[in-house]
Amino acid sequence: MFYDDIELGTRLITLMAAAMLVVQFLMVGQRLLPTAIRLFSLQSLFLACLAGTVAYVNQARHVYIAAALTLLLKVIVMPLFLNRILERATEKAEVESHLNTPASILICGGLTLVGYMVAHPFIKPHERGHSTLAVATALFLMGFFLMMNRRKAISQVLGLLTAENGLFLAAISLTYGMPLIVELGIFFDVLIAVMIFGILVYRISEIFDSMDTNKFRRLRG
Amino acid sequence: MKLWLAQVVLQLFLALGLSPFVSGFIRKLKAVLQNRRGPSLWQPYHDLFKWVRKGTVVSQQASWLFRATPYVSFLTALMVSLMVPMVTAVVPLSYFGGVLAVVYLLALARFFVALAALDTASAFGGMGSSREMTVSALAEPAMMLSIFTVALTAGSTNLSFMVQAALQHQERFLSPSHILALAAMFIVLIAETGRLPVDNPATHLELTMIHEAMILEYSGHYLALVEWGTALKQLVLMSLLVNIFFPVGIGGALTARTVTVGLIAYVVKLLLLACVVALVETSNAKLRLFRVPELLSIGFILAALALASSFIF
Repeated sequence: MFYDDIELGTRLITLMAAAMLVVQFLMVGQRLLPTAIRLFSLQSLFLACLAGTVAYVNQARHVYIAAALTLLLKVIVMPLFLNRILERATEKAEVESHLNTPASILICGGLTLVGYMVAHPFIKPHERGHSTLAVATALFLMGFFLMMNRRKAISQVLGLLTAENGLFLAAISLTYGMPLIVELGIFFDVLIAVMIFGILVYRISEIFDSMDTNKFRRLRG
Repeated sequence: MKLWLAQVVLQLFLALGLSPFVSGFIRKLKAVLQNRRGPSLWQPYHDLFKWVRKGTVVSQQASWLFRATPYVSFLTALMVSLMVPMVTAVVPLSYFGGVLAVVYLLALARFFVALAALDTASAFGGMGSSREMTVSALAEPAMMLSIFTVALTAGSTNLSFMVQAALQHQERFLSPSHILALAAMFIVLIAETGRLPVDNPATHLELTMIHEAMILEYSGHYLALVEWGTALKQLVLMSLLVNIFFPVGIGGALTARTVTVGLIAYVVKLLLLACVVALVETSNAKLRLFRVPELLSIGFILAALALASSFIF
């Protein structure tokens, strides 16, 4: 069925990148916050599997550490943390967005095409993992779109995290493993960012009784 | 010629025999997942047998359309099941038409069922057919686009060619565009077979039913035909998904060995897909009717992206 390990690896990497894209679309269409968090966890699981495959195919041992860290932090710790914030905030757990779902999905479809177009000049047809960059760019753009489109602070954090997933995907598929110290730096950066965001979101919901960022105008003196 | 006839007969019996089993399997699995015992696996067969024996009641106001519809829906489903690869890549009615014929024969059956629901002028029938048309108008383009994605890679809309091409170049078929198409096709499968986030197959609650509302007036052997046709349609859509996207184990030629291997692989793949469907049904609540277009628009965009990305790469 498959020719050799490299071939199989490239297929698996492309497959999982595509699965991440599908999950991202589901997240855009999702209305319930707990499910959105679960979807983020699923997307990160695909990312961790992808990193593991990259590590295996390229015999890059330190990428295993990146994969394990993704699994630990993004699949388990961060979703748990976000869920706890959600439980503490006394609000209905629905995502509220500026645009309605079909419009958001359409825009995200357009963004994916933009991602493909942007990535197109950078790739040669027979290069390994050639469509992964396109998927990563699409994830990145859609993450930013989610941040702009959502009203609640916590779902904006989710948007940022998916954008970061796209960034990590691009890094890992282009370089097949950055130096370990860079990866560790990025991970702890994101972890600290999520922690700070979490505390901030919690305080916001305590003070304003809402996580809706539109209500922050009251802060003006 | 003899071989062809044997194949037609075999595939007919396979489709007729297996389709109620798949429905029963999903029902049983759902029950187990919800900590219920559930009806036995053979319940759909018992139901069909019961309905065939019972008499029918037809409204005095009903026209010939009401009586003709069960036959139309059953026979089109039966014909379509001869056009979809099940055990082997060689399809009995391969030259009759490709995937377009499959999609539009199913649409023909739906058209007749919707008309028959209006025919008796019951309020439920009209409501059901209006909803069914809304859902199918959104699901059909997504289905066409996702199948076209595969057809584009294979270079033909003939289902036999598609499966054979998928068998020869399996590496071409594991691309991102196919994952997107698969996701879209799964959403279409859920919508078209009336599964849970879209429609609840197990309820007769007036606010939520779509398909059940349309066939509410049927009884006796008419009901048996309609239900069997629905089960056949479900089997056809599931085989389409399973054999186009995962053509593992399907036989290219007609020998005793490939047919046996193909049959086992086919049943295993079908039951796996049925498990996924049952899981999705158990873990999701029914969508409000006005939210259904949102789900289907996700399916449509995924399918459109699949087609676009297979052009770009």
